[in-house]
Amino acid sequence: MSNINRAPRTFPLLFAVAILLTCVLACCAATPDAEALLKRSDSYRNGWPSYVLRVKITHYESGKADEDKLYEVSQKGTEKTYVEFLSPREKGQHLLMLGDDMWVYLPDTSRPVRITPLERLNGDASNGDVARTNYAVDYSAAYLRTEKVGAENCHVLELTAKRKGSTYQRILFWLRVEDARPVRAEYYLTSGKHIKSATFDEYVTVDGRPQLRRWTLYDEIRHNSRSTLEYSGIAPRELPDKLFYQGRTDRF
Amino acid sequence: MSIRHALTIILALIAAPCFAQAQDEPPAVARYDFRYSFSAIDDATFDSSLQAPLPAAASMLKAPVVTFLQNQFLLEPSFTLRYHSRWSLASSVVGRAETFHGLSTAEFDLPPGEIAPSAALASALEPYTGTHTQFHVKEAYAGLSAGDFDFMAGRRIVRWGTGYAFTPAGVLDPPRVPTNPTDRLNLNEGRDMVKADFVHGPHALSFAWSTAALAPAGSNLHDTTALRYNILVRGFDTSLIAGDDRGGDAFGGLTFTRVFGQAWEMHGEAAWRERGAILLGAKYTTKHGISFIGEFYSPPNTAYYRDASLSPSAGRQNYAFLYAGKSRLRELPGWKQWDLSASMVENLNDRSYTAVLDANRRWGSHFSSYVHMEIPAGSKSTEYGATPYSAATSVGLRFQL
Repeated sequence: MSNINRAPRTFPLLFAVAILLTCVLACCAATPDAEALLKRSDSYRNGWPSYVLRVKITHYESGKADEDKLYEVSQKGTEKTYVEFLSPREKGQHLLMLGDDMWVYLPDTSRPVRITPLERLNGDASNGDVARTNYAVDYSAAYLRTEKVGAENCHVLELTAKRKGSTYQRILFWLRVEDARPVRAEYYLTSGKHIKSATFDEYVTVDGRPQLRRWTLYDEIRHNSRSTLEYSGIAPRELPDKLFYQGRTDRF
Repeated sequence: MSIRHALTIILALIAAPCFAQAQDEPPAVARYDFRYSFSAIDDATFDSSLQAPLPAAASMLKAPVVTFLQNQFLLEPSFTLRYHSRWSLASSVVGRAETFHGLSTAEFDLPPGEIAPSAALASALEPYTGTHTQFHVKEAYAGLSAGDFDFMAGRRIVRWGTGYAFTPAGVLDPPRVPTNPTDRLNLNEGRDMVKADFVHGPHALSFAWSTAALAPAGSNLHDTTALRYNILVRGFDTSLIAGDDRGGDAFGGLTFTRVFGQAWEMHGEAAWRERGAILLGAKYTTKHGISFIGEFYSPPNTAYYRDASLSPSAGRQNYAFLYAGKSRLRELPGWKQWDLSASMVENLNDRSYTAVLDANRRWGSHFSSYVHMEIPAGSKSTEYGATPYSAATSVGLRFQL
């Protein structure tokens, strides 16, 4: 008798739990895979397993261009990056990143100098901004929400550093819903300080693949300062392993 | 369809590609790759409270000189030509024109009697102006890259040491000057050598044979054969070095660098040549981009390691080097183009030291100016205190292309 009486009370409870579970599962199923989105977004800056490109960085102070810098970046896989400095004052310098390890070759010391992760942050556009563009390798991604940036519907990801070599501790990353193309980013230090923001302004198709052509970094500490990074000469290229040897002492 | 409509359609068809997404063709690999750089530097050095060195008792001083002002004008062109990423040709030379203003005399002997030697020397010195031109070949070499092997022959600057201000293990390195570790006027010259490198994965093996046949007279260089094995393992960039000086001693060395956490780098060298020498150093970078470097160096007092100013009987010397600097003071409004640094090298045995201050200011993309100041301190019988000036101040203008 008591069992019969309990049944009408148990069924609505089970029904409610089932509904709730279905809703949760439905929500989970609808949440995009943040890691997959991040990998896809990386392909706009790393179109091939091995490639070269040139980066021209123009710094602006109070809206006025005050300095240009030119770099040639050679990237092999996700762990090896070699950056050659080409602007007059920096000619002869190289930067090498092998996973979490990083060296800078200075012509005045004629030897590779080991540099620390904090030294990656030097400059408006840091060494890491030039040389470390595979976010999926350096950061764990979590999906936050969908929101509009201008006219674009965007996924918002929260990226958290997962290795020592990551340039920033945390990044908020806006990707276009349509194709995971980077639209906007905010960069944070370990202290939680919002240090930079970025807009990804222009894309170009190279060898049939859409690639980032120009993006802008805004200094959030000194608000009148910004840097544009323009990519050119993007090309897939077979690169020898010894290009990424830390003992290289070629002057150029 | 009216003519206006037809024109509109034609114009739209012509304009359509302009609004399509831009297309870039990837550039082809160039057969030749030519890179160059050029610097012109004018550097003027003023010595304060300079004293001419006095001769030892019962000896004569040949042409004593006191230079108050030395002006140097340096032209430094460099180039590298690569062909198919296989062959390379590189050269870096320096043309230097110097002008001196100071006091000099022919020969000076210690005067008999009660006259103080320094007063006698001071009265014998007369004003002089001199000029001097020099041509340095810093590097000139040809290279061949074949698979995992690289070969080169010619004059080349090689730095195997990891120390910033000192290097006991850098057997082929140009001498490090702790008061000028970055060779601010780019006057270091390479060694004449043939060198072969084998690089495979994290392993690198280098063999070098260097001749002293073309070395400047009195440079104390020998024909040197050296071998280096370098590997990056668990973040340690480690090298083992072995070699032999013809007519001299065999030597061995170990170097390492390692980064710890976000801000620390440690490096060290140990070398054995007759006796052991050791260097330990660290670099710390703050969140604001200020770098601190500290080094401790303990060389034996043997002919190879001894500084020219040091007595052979002085025993093992210990040195400390401290550096603090920041490039681009961007946090201060109006100071973004400035680099500032200060360093100090101290002989821990005799407590003498030299403090060094550097300030550099960029002007546009090609010009910069700088001030470099060296201030020695210590008693006259000590290593740095014996420096014949109280301060040496260099100011300069640099053009880079």
